[in-house]
Amino acid sequence: MTQQLISEITGTLWKIERHVGDCVEEGDVVMILESMKMEIPVEATMAGTIKELLVAEGESVEEGDLLCVIE
Amino acid sequence: MSLEKKMAELKEREERAYSMGGEEKLQRRREASILNARERIDYFVDPGSFMESGLLGVSSVVEADRERTPGDGKLVGFARVDGRPAGIASNDFTVKGASSSLTNMKKISHVKRVATERGFPLVFFGESSGARMPDNMGSRGMGALLGNDPTQYVRHRESPWATAILGQCYGSSAWYACLSDFTVMRKGSVLAVASASLASVAIGQKVDPEDLGGWKLHDEVTGLIDRVAETDEEALDLIRKFLSYLPSHKNEPPPRALVPEGSDEAAAQVQDILPESRRRVYDVRKIIRSMVDQDSFFELKPRFGRTVVTGLARLDGGTVGIVANNPMYKAGAMDVAGCEKITRFLVLCDSFNIPIVMMVDTPGFVIGIEGERMKAPGKIMNFMTALQMCTVPKLSVIMRKSYGQAYLNMGGGRNSDEVVAWPTAEVSFMDPAYSVQVVTWGRNPSEEEQQQLRKQMERDNSVWGLAEMYSVQSVIRPADTRRHLIKTLEFHTMHLSGGIGKHQLSAWPTTF
Repeated sequence: MTQQLISEITGTLWKIERHVGDCVEEGDVVMILESMKMEIPVEATMAGTIKELLVAEGESVEEGDLLCVIE
Repeated sequence: MSLEKKMAELKEREERAYSMGGEEKLQRRREASILNARERIDYFVDPGSFMESGLLGVSSVVEADRERTPGDGKLVGFARVDGRPAGIASNDFTVKGASSSLTNMKKISHVKRVATERGFPLVFFGESSGARMPDNMGSRGMGALLGNDPTQYVRHRESPWATAILGQCYGSSAWYACLSDFTVMRKGSVLAVASASLASVAIGQKVDPEDLGGWKLHDEVTGLIDRVAETDEEALDLIRKFLSYLPSHKNEPPPRALVPEGSDEAAAQVQDILPESRRRVYDVRKIIRSMVDQDSFFELKPRFGRTVVTGLARLDGGTVGIVANNPMYKAGAMDVAGCEKITRFLVLCDSFNIPIVMMVDTPGFVIGIEGERMKAPGKIMNFMTALQMCTVPKLSVIMRKSYGQAYLNMGGGRNSDEVVAWPTAEVSFMDPAYSVQVVTWGRNPSEEEQQQLRKQMERDNSVWGLAEMYSVQSVIRPADTRRHLIKTLEFHTMHLSGGIGKHQLSAWPTTF
């Protein structure tokens, strides 16, 4: 089973907190976006391993963009 | 015929009505753990209080259906719910899919008229297939059955309406769900204009019923429902809970409840939930829960338009409507769905004399192409007009950010009856990070000058300016918010009218 984390807002990826291969629990902060001058955490919606990170720090993201795949 | 024979016939007709659509269909429902129309009523109302109306009604259009349509597929009547009167309409899907025909439409119309004119809530248990065939077919079918009651699908909100969607809801049960003040959907149910099979026949669209009108769609995308339930019983419990916050009709204030112990103590913790950094987000629901009477927060549409939170709660035992920005989602910047959600909630509060408390922490409205395509400016003005037309008391608490037009929409200035702010409040037209760029447009300021401008702007955004010119009435400590709101509401109760507002929004639409 995989879970895709999608950006809920247009902004930039400010900080990556967890990397490919890391184990995460549901609710763990995987990365932090910056938009409207606020830090917006992106949380894992299920426990698993991070399989893929699709954006790098400093890159801009659009609402609906795929950010990360958890397996 | 002797009286004895007449009595025997009455008994026989009653028994036929109670047999509903037959044992086989009822058994299938039992096996699926789905309540039937009578069990739903029994579960919902105070024990023994249901007084049925139209038990002996059957089809009056197709002669051959007279024996096959006990109750004509829709059961109605009056009952007590937590001691207060209510009208009930329960669809019996085991009888011709609870489809609409002449007799059962008269039954619904009657219970609706009595609930409206005598002043008590109306509750629908939705599960119906739509108009009955062949009854409604052809121009004579349409002319005889449809369109003869101009009040059938109109909402003036004289008394609260609530719907539980408990199966397939097409036609009337879908329409009544959308006209209701509160709609809960049991998982596995469908709410749509027409069924997936009709969509397949008529337009060749193959679609899964869940995608067409399942709970996920309505919970997260359309916002046509307020809550989701796992079982029939949970759905009915949620309606009972919703009604506990509301008056029986528009001409009385909401009922009062006892104040749970520990409510004042929890409210003192509010401050700990707000992060130190103005850049950090938090879930505003934690602040709401600790500020209102313990366990009294009843959220509406929790997964739709999540940039804002709306819900009923109690302060010192009295019902209030909470509207809050939620920085947890999109930094609390209000989007189109958030505006729609607030507008609908303001209509509910204004219609039923519920004071409104706005908890403000928003950088503004969401900007960018997505919102513009969804008519964002129109939605913002809809919300603004609704707020200004509300005649119930409106209190606004600026917790942190309040920027631009959103300052007005969230009750800033004279858009609410009292505005208070926490010392952490910051108010301006635009976040300093952006306004530095706007005021230096067209020239190339040094890094040092930008820093200086920004610092000055941050100082100017602090709450003290508003307090000095009386654009907020008070600056309060976060821990005092509960106490302050309770005291303020004592004075802002609508003393002149016995707590009754003017209901300027009561005839507004139900979907925005």
